[in-house]
Amino acid sequence: MQLVLDPDMIACVPGETIPSELDDIDALDRVYRFRLLRFVAYSTGDQDLAETIVQDCLLKAYNSRDSFRGDCSVYTWLAHIATNLVRDSQRSRKFQFWRRVHKTAPDLNEVSSLLSSPQSSVESQMLARERAQQVSAALETLSVNQRTIFLMRFIEEMDIQEICQATGMQVSTVKTHLHRAVKAVRLKLGGGI
Amino acid sequence: MENHRESYLTHLTDEQFTDLLLGTSPAAVTAHLSACPQCAQEAQRVSGAIGSFAQQSRLWAERRAASLPVHSRDSQPVFPRLHIPRSPQAWTAAGLAVALALGIGISLRVDHARPVERQVAAKLQPAVAVSPTILKSDNALLTAIDGELRADESATSGMYGLSGSSRGVRSRSPKRISN
Repeated sequence: MQLVLDPDMIACVPGETIPSELDDIDALDRVYRFRLLRFVAYSTGDQDLAETIVQDCLLKAYNSRDSFRGDCSVYTWLAHIATNLVRDSQRSRKFQFWRRVHKTAPDLNEVSSLLSSPQSSVESQMLARERAQQVSAALETLSVNQRTIFLMRFIEEMDIQEICQATGMQVSTVKTHLHRAVKAVRLKLGGGI
Repeated sequence: MENHRESYLTHLTDEQFTDLLLGTSPAAVTAHLSACPQCAQEAQRVSGAIGSFAQQSRLWAERRAASLPVHSRDSQPVFPRLHIPRSPQAWTAAGLAVALALGIGISLRVDHARPVERQVAAKLQPAVAVSPTILKSDNALLTAIDGELRADESATSGMYGLSGSSRGVRSRSPKRISN
Protein backbone atom coordinates (compact mmCIF):
# COMPACT_ATOMS: atom_id res chain seq x y z
CA MET A 1 0.00 0.00 0.00
CA GLN A 2 1.34 3.38 -0.99
CA LEU A 3 0.68 6.50 1.02
CA VAL A 4 -0.11 9.51 -1.14
CA LEU A 5 0.35 12.90 0.43
CA ASP A 6 -1.48 15.98 -0.68
CA PRO A 7 1.17 18.43 -2.01
CA ASP A 8 -0.77 21.32 -0.49
CA MET A 9 -0.41 19.79 2.96
CA ILE A 10 3.32 19.45 2.56
CA ALA A 11 3.76 23.01 1.38
CA CYS A 12 1.65 24.53 4.13
CA VAL A 13 3.69 25.15 7.25
CA PRO A 14 1.66 26.17 10.30
CA GLY A 15 2.18 29.80 11.28
CA GLU A 16 3.69 30.72 7.96
CA THR A 17 1.82 33.43 6.11
CA ILE A 18 1.21 32.78 2.46
CA PRO A 19 1.83 35.88 0.37
CA SER A 20 -1.27 36.80 -1.54
CA GLU A 21 -2.55 39.61 -3.69
CA LEU A 22 -4.12 41.05 -0.55
CA ASP A 23 -0.66 42.16 0.57
CA ASP A 24 -0.43 44.61 -2.29
CA ILE A 25 -3.15 47.18 -1.85
CA ASP A 26 -2.32 48.90 -5.13
CA ALA A 27 -2.84 45.68 -7.04
CA LEU A 28 -5.98 45.02 -5.04
CA ASP A 29 -7.27 48.43 -5.95
CA ARG A 30 -6.31 48.08 -9.60
CA VAL A 31 -7.89 44.67 -10.07
CA TYR A 32 -11.03 44.85 -7.98
CA ARG A 33 -12.04 48.47 -7.59
CA PHE A 34 -14.13 48.76 -10.75
CA ARG A 35 -15.85 45.45 -10.14
CA LEU A 36 -16.71 46.41 -6.60
CA LEU A 37 -17.76 49.86 -7.72
CA ARG A 38 -20.16 48.42 -10.28
CA PHE A 39 -21.59 45.93 -7.82
CA VAL A 40 -22.03 48.43 -4.99
CA ALA A 41 -23.25 51.27 -7.23
CA TYR A 42 -26.07 49.14 -8.60
CA SER A 43 -26.77 47.59 -5.19
CA THR A 44 -27.26 50.96 -3.55
CA GLY A 45 -28.36 52.95 -6.60
CA ASP A 46 -26.03 55.73 -5.51
CA GLN A 47 -22.62 56.13 -7.09
CA ASP A 48 -21.27 58.59 -4.52
CA LEU A 49 -22.15 56.28 -1.67
CA ALA A 50 -20.71 53.39 -3.69
CA GLU A 51 -17.34 55.10 -3.93
CA THR A 52 -17.24 55.54 -0.17
CA ILE A 53 -18.23 51.94 0.45
CA VAL A 54 -15.66 50.61 -2.04
CA GLN A 55 -12.97 52.69 -0.40
CA ASP A 56 -13.95 51.34 3.01
CA CYS A 57 -14.17 47.81 1.65
CA LEU A 58 -10.67 47.85 0.17
CA LEU A 59 -9.23 49.35 3.34
CA LYS A 60 -11.03 46.85 5.51
CA ALA A 61 -9.84 43.97 3.35
CA TYR A 62 -6.27 45.19 3.43
CA ASN A 63 -6.27 45.78 7.18
CA SER A 64 -7.81 42.40 7.96
CA ARG A 65 -6.02 40.43 5.27
CA ASP A 66 -4.60 38.10 7.90
CA SER A 67 -8.09 36.80 8.57
CA PHE A 68 -8.56 35.73 4.94
CA ARG A 69 -8.38 31.95 5.07
CA GLY A 70 -8.32 31.40 1.34
CA ASP A 71 -11.34 29.11 1.27
CA CYS A 72 -12.94 31.29 -1.37
CA SER A 73 -11.69 33.65 -4.07
CA VAL A 74 -10.48 37.10 -3.14
CA TYR A 75 -13.35 38.70 -5.02
CA THR A 76 -15.91 36.58 -3.14
CA TRP A 77 -14.35 37.71 0.12
CA LEU A 78 -14.39 41.35 -1.02
CA ALA A 79 -18.01 40.98 -2.14
CA HIS A 80 -18.84 39.62 1.31
CA ILE A 81 -17.28 42.68 2.97
CA ALA A 82 -18.97 45.01 0.50
CA THR A 83 -22.36 43.36 1.05
CA ASN A 84 -22.06 43.87 4.80
CA LEU A 85 -21.05 47.49 4.32
CA VAL A 86 -24.00 48.07 1.99
CA ARG A 87 -26.34 46.51 4.55
CA ASP A 88 -24.88 48.65 7.33
CA SER A 89 -25.22 51.82 5.30
CA GLN A 90 -28.78 51.04 4.29
CA ARG A 91 -29.77 50.41 7.88
CA SER A 92 -28.48 53.77 9.02
CA ARG A 93 -30.89 56.66 9.24
CA LYS A 94 -28.28 58.92 7.71
CA PHE A 95 -28.38 56.85 4.51
CA GLN A 96 -32.15 56.94 4.36
CA PHE A 97 -32.15 60.71 4.82
CA TRP A 98 -29.53 61.41 2.18
CA ARG A 99 -31.14 58.93 -0.18
CA ARG A 100 -34.27 61.02 -0.11
CA VAL A 101 -32.39 64.29 -0.41
CA HIS A 102 -29.73 63.49 -2.95
CA LYS A 103 -29.31 60.38 -4.98
CA THR A 104 -26.81 60.04 -7.78
CA ALA A 105 -27.69 56.86 -9.58
CA PRO A 106 -25.16 55.47 -12.05
CA ASP A 107 -25.90 56.88 -15.47
CA LEU A 108 -25.34 54.45 -18.31
CA ASN A 109 -25.77 57.25 -20.84
CA GLU A 110 -22.30 58.42 -19.79
CA VAL A 111 -20.79 55.45 -21.60
CA SER A 112 -23.15 55.16 -24.53
CA SER A 113 -20.64 56.85 -26.83
CA LEU A 114 -17.98 54.32 -25.84
CA LEU A 115 -20.10 51.45 -27.05
CA SER A 116 -20.15 52.55 -30.67
CA SER A 117 -18.24 50.18 -32.85
CA PRO A 118 -18.07 49.84 -36.61
CA GLN A 119 -19.58 46.36 -36.42
CA SER A 120 -22.82 47.44 -34.77
CA SER A 121 -25.33 49.71 -36.39
CA VAL A 122 -26.71 52.82 -34.73
CA GLU A 123 -30.05 51.10 -34.38
CA SER A 124 -28.63 48.09 -32.58
CA GLN A 125 -26.58 50.34 -30.32
CA MET A 126 -29.69 52.28 -29.37
CA LEU A 127 -31.57 49.05 -28.78
CA ALA A 128 -28.78 47.72 -26.54
CA ARG A 129 -28.72 50.96 -24.60
CA GLU A 130 -32.46 50.92 -24.16
CA ARG A 131 -32.39 47.33 -22.93
CA ALA A 132 -29.61 48.11 -20.48
CA GLN A 133 -31.62 51.05 -19.16
CA GLN A 134 -34.63 48.77 -18.74
CA VAL A 135 -32.59 46.29 -16.72
CA SER A 136 -31.21 49.15 -14.64
CA ALA A 137 -34.74 50.41 -13.99
CA ALA A 138 -35.91 46.89 -13.16
CA LEU A 139 -33.13 46.52 -10.59
CA GLU A 140 -34.51 49.50 -8.68
CA THR A 141 -37.80 47.70 -8.18
CA LEU A 142 -36.15 44.65 -6.61
CA SER A 143 -35.60 44.08 -2.92
CA VAL A 144 -32.07 44.58 -1.62
CA ASN A 145 -31.40 40.84 -1.43
CA GLN A 146 -32.85 40.14 -4.86
CA ARG A 147 -30.82 42.94 -6.40
CA THR A 148 -27.61 41.90 -4.68
CA ILE A 149 -27.96 38.30 -5.76
CA PHE A 150 -29.01 39.19 -9.30
CA LEU A 151 -25.95 41.43 -9.66
CA MET A 152 -23.65 38.82 -8.21
CA ARG A 153 -24.90 36.13 -10.56
CA PHE A 154 -25.48 37.90 -13.85
CA ILE A 155 -23.17 40.91 -13.67
CA GLU A 156 -20.31 39.66 -11.52
CA GLU A 157 -20.75 36.13 -12.90
CA MET A 158 -20.34 34.47 -9.53
CA ASP A 159 -21.68 30.95 -9.20
CA ILE A 160 -24.33 29.98 -6.67
CA GLN A 161 -21.79 28.64 -4.20
CA GLU A 162 -19.79 31.88 -4.28
CA ILE A 163 -22.98 33.88 -3.78
CA CYS A 164 -23.80 31.74 -0.75
CA GLN A 165 -20.34 32.42 0.68
CA ALA A 166 -20.57 36.16 -0.01
CA THR A 167 -24.07 36.63 1.37
CA GLY A 168 -24.13 33.94 4.03
CA MET A 169 -27.41 32.58 2.62
CA GLN A 170 -28.49 29.03 1.91
CA VAL A 171 -28.50 27.74 -1.66
CA SER A 172 -32.30 27.48 -1.68
CA THR A 173 -32.65 31.09 -0.47
CA VAL A 174 -30.27 32.32 -3.13
CA LYS A 175 -32.15 30.44 -5.84
CA THR A 176 -35.50 31.77 -4.65
CA HIS A 177 -34.21 35.35 -4.74
CA LEU A 178 -32.78 34.73 -8.20
CA HIS A 179 -36.05 33.33 -9.55
CA ARG A 180 -37.99 36.32 -8.25
CA ALA A 181 -35.43 38.78 -9.54
CA VAL A 182 -35.38 37.25 -13.03
CA LYS A 183 -39.17 37.23 -13.14
CA ALA A 184 -39.31 40.91 -12.18
CA VAL A 185 -36.68 41.84 -14.75
CA ARG A 186 -38.49 39.90 -17.47
CA LEU A 187 -41.71 41.68 -16.63
CA LYS A 188 -39.97 45.05 -16.75
CA LEU A 189 -38.51 44.15 -20.14
CA GLY A 190 -42.04 43.53 -21.36
CA GLY A 191 -41.59 39.80 -21.31
CA GLY A 192 -44.00 37.02 -20.69
CA ILE A 193 -45.28 34.48 -23.12
CA MET B 1 -45.85 12.79 -32.77
CA GLU B 2 -48.93 14.22 -31.11
CA ASN B 3 -47.22 14.29 -27.69
CA HIS B 4 -44.19 15.95 -29.21
CA ARG B 5 -46.36 18.74 -30.65
CA GLU B 6 -48.25 19.19 -27.37
CA SER B 7 -45.05 19.74 -25.41
CA TYR B 8 -44.32 22.87 -27.46
CA LEU B 9 -47.76 24.28 -26.80
CA THR B 10 -46.86 24.80 -23.14
CA HIS B 11 -44.09 27.37 -22.90
CA LEU B 12 -41.29 27.45 -20.40
CA THR B 13 -42.17 28.45 -16.86
CA ASP B 14 -40.45 31.28 -14.98
CA GLU B 15 -38.35 28.77 -13.08
CA GLN B 16 -37.27 27.09 -16.30
CA PHE B 17 -36.34 30.46 -17.76
CA THR B 18 -34.24 31.24 -14.72
CA ASP B 19 -32.54 27.87 -14.93
CA LEU B 20 -31.91 28.57 -18.58
CA LEU B 21 -30.28 31.89 -17.75
CA LEU B 22 -28.29 30.26 -14.98
CA GLY B 23 -27.12 27.58 -17.38
CA THR B 24 -28.56 24.81 -15.26
CA SER B 25 -31.48 23.87 -17.47
CA PRO B 26 -32.07 20.22 -18.26
CA ALA B 27 -31.84 18.85 -21.78
CA ALA B 28 -35.63 18.96 -22.21
CA VAL B 29 -35.62 22.74 -21.88
CA THR B 30 -32.89 23.08 -24.47
CA ALA B 31 -34.85 20.80 -26.77
CA HIS B 32 -37.94 22.92 -26.23
CA LEU B 33 -36.05 26.07 -27.17
CA SER B 34 -34.89 24.61 -30.44
CA ALA B 35 -38.48 23.86 -31.36
CA CYS B 36 -40.34 26.85 -29.85
CA PRO B 37 -39.42 30.16 -31.52
CA GLN B 38 -41.34 32.23 -28.96
CA CYS B 39 -39.46 30.85 -25.98
CA ALA B 40 -36.18 31.05 -27.89
CA GLN B 41 -36.87 34.69 -28.73
CA GLU B 42 -37.81 35.48 -25.13
CA ALA B 43 -34.67 33.80 -23.80
CA GLN B 44 -32.53 35.67 -26.31
CA ARG B 45 -34.20 38.97 -25.48
CA VAL B 46 -33.70 38.63 -21.71
CA SER B 47 -30.14 37.33 -21.92
CA GLY B 48 -29.31 40.03 -24.49
CA ALA B 49 -30.67 42.77 -22.24
CA ILE B 50 -28.74 41.49 -19.24
CA GLY B 51 -25.62 41.20 -21.41
CA SER B 52 -26.01 44.79 -22.61
CA PHE B 53 -26.47 45.97 -19.06
CA ALA B 54 -23.40 44.04 -17.91
CA GLN B 55 -21.30 45.51 -20.71
CA GLN B 56 -22.43 49.09 -20.20
CA SER B 57 -22.19 48.95 -16.42
CA ARG B 58 -18.70 47.52 -16.74
CA LEU B 59 -17.63 50.39 -18.97
CA TRP B 60 -19.23 52.86 -16.60
CA ALA B 61 -17.44 51.34 -13.58
CA GLU B 62 -14.06 51.18 -15.35
CA ARG B 63 -14.37 54.79 -16.37
CA ARG B 64 -15.52 55.89 -12.94
CA ALA B 65 -12.83 53.91 -11.11
CA ALA B 66 -10.14 55.34 -13.38
CA SER B 67 -11.18 58.86 -12.48
CA LEU B 68 -10.94 58.22 -8.74
CA PRO B 69 -7.73 58.69 -6.77
CA VAL B 70 -5.84 55.47 -6.26
CA HIS B 71 -5.11 54.20 -2.77
CA SER B 72 -1.66 54.77 -1.48
CA ARG B 73 -0.04 53.21 1.52
CA ASP B 74 0.97 56.60 2.88
CA SER B 75 -2.46 58.08 2.71
CA GLN B 76 -4.35 55.23 4.34
CA PRO B 77 -3.21 54.92 7.90
CA VAL B 78 -3.92 58.53 8.78
CA PHE B 79 -6.81 57.57 11.01
CA PRO B 80 -5.12 54.62 12.72
CA ARG B 81 -1.89 56.58 13.24
CA LEU B 82 -3.63 59.50 14.90
CA HIS B 83 -5.98 57.17 16.80
CA ILE B 84 -8.91 59.27 15.76
CA PRO B 85 -12.17 57.50 16.50
CA ARG B 86 -14.10 56.60 13.35
CA SER B 87 -17.34 55.35 14.81
CA PRO B 88 -20.38 57.63 14.41
CA GLN B 89 -21.08 57.47 18.16
CA ALA B 90 -17.62 58.79 18.99
CA TRP B 91 -17.97 61.65 16.53
CA THR B 92 -21.45 62.46 17.86
CA ALA B 93 -20.11 62.54 21.42
CA ALA B 94 -17.21 64.75 20.36
CA GLY B 95 -19.58 67.09 18.53
CA LEU B 96 -21.84 67.35 21.57
CA ALA B 97 -18.85 68.08 23.82
CA VAL B 98 -17.66 70.86 21.50
CA ALA B 99 -21.18 72.30 21.26
CA LEU B 100 -21.52 72.19 25.06
CA ALA B 101 -18.16 73.87 25.56
CA LEU B 102 -19.04 76.55 23.05
CA GLY B 103 -22.42 77.08 24.71
CA ILE B 104 -20.88 77.44 28.18
CA GLY B 105 -18.18 79.74 26.83
CA ILE B 106 -20.67 81.99 25.12
CA SER B 107 -22.94 82.20 28.18
CA LEU B 108 -19.95 83.03 30.44
CA ARG B 109 -18.77 85.59 27.97
CA VAL B 110 -22.22 87.20 27.93
CA ASP B 111 -22.37 87.31 31.75
CA HIS B 112 -18.87 88.73 31.95
CA ALA B 113 -19.61 91.36 29.39
CA ARG B 114 -22.67 92.78 31.16
CA PRO B 115 -20.90 94.87 33.91
CA VAL B 116 -18.44 96.22 31.38
CA GLU B 117 -21.29 97.19 29.16
CA ARG B 118 -22.97 98.89 32.05
CA GLN B 119 -19.78 100.87 32.85
CA VAL B 120 -19.37 101.93 29.26
CA ALA B 121 -23.01 102.90 29.10
CA ALA B 122 -22.64 104.95 32.26
CA LYS B 123 -19.63 106.74 30.82
CA LEU B 124 -21.41 107.47 27.65
CA GLN B 125 -24.39 109.04 29.42
CA PRO B 126 -25.10 112.51 28.01
CA ALA B 127 -24.30 115.55 30.22
CA VAL B 128 -27.19 116.85 32.27
CA ALA B 129 -28.62 119.96 30.68
CA VAL B 130 -27.93 123.06 32.86
CA SER B 131 -30.43 125.86 32.85
CA PRO B 132 -29.29 129.39 31.78
CA THR B 133 -30.15 130.79 35.23
CA ILE B 134 -27.70 128.46 36.96
CA LEU B 135 -25.06 129.30 34.37
CA LYS B 136 -25.55 132.99 34.97
CA SER B 137 -25.23 132.63 38.75
CA ASP B 138 -22.11 130.45 38.33
CA ASN B 139 -20.50 133.07 36.09
CA ALA B 140 -21.35 135.79 38.60
CA LEU B 141 -19.75 133.76 41.39
CA LEU B 142 -16.59 133.21 39.35
CA THR B 143 -16.36 136.97 38.58
CA ALA B 144 -16.70 137.77 42.27
CA ILE B 145 -13.95 135.33 43.22
CA ASP B 146 -11.71 136.74 40.53
CA GLY B 147 -12.29 140.27 41.84
CA GLU B 148 -11.29 139.22 45.35
CA LEU B 149 -8.14 137.55 44.11
CA ARG B 150 -7.08 140.71 42.20
CA ALA B 151 -7.58 142.78 45.27
CA ASP B 152 -5.30 140.43 47.26
CA GLU B 153 -2.68 140.57 44.51
CA SER B 154 -2.48 144.39 44.45
CA ALA B 155 -2.21 144.50 48.26
CA THR B 156 0.69 142.01 48.19
CA SER B 157 2.48 143.91 45.38
CA GLY B 158 2.26 147.19 47.32
CA MET B 159 3.70 145.50 50.42
CA TYR B 160 6.85 144.42 48.51
CA GLY B 161 7.22 147.75 46.56
CA LEU B 162 6.24 146.40 43.24
CA SER B 163 4.65 148.66 40.67
CA GLY B 164 1.01 148.31 40.08
CA SER B 165 1.56 147.98 36.39
CA SER B 166 1.34 144.31 37.01
CA ARG B 167 4.22 143.30 34.82
CA GLY B 168 4.31 139.75 34.15
CA VAL B 169 1.20 139.28 36.14
CA ARG B 170 -1.20 137.11 34.41
CA SER B 171 -4.58 138.36 33.78
CA ARG B 172 -7.05 136.29 35.65
CA SER B 173 -10.10 137.01 33.73
CA PRO B 174 -12.70 134.48 34.66
CA LYS B 175 -13.48 131.92 32.06
CA ARG B 176 -17.03 132.06 31.27
CA ILE B 177 -18.87 128.91 31.48
CA SER B 178 -20.94 128.09 28.55
CA ASN B 179 -23.32 125.36 28.03
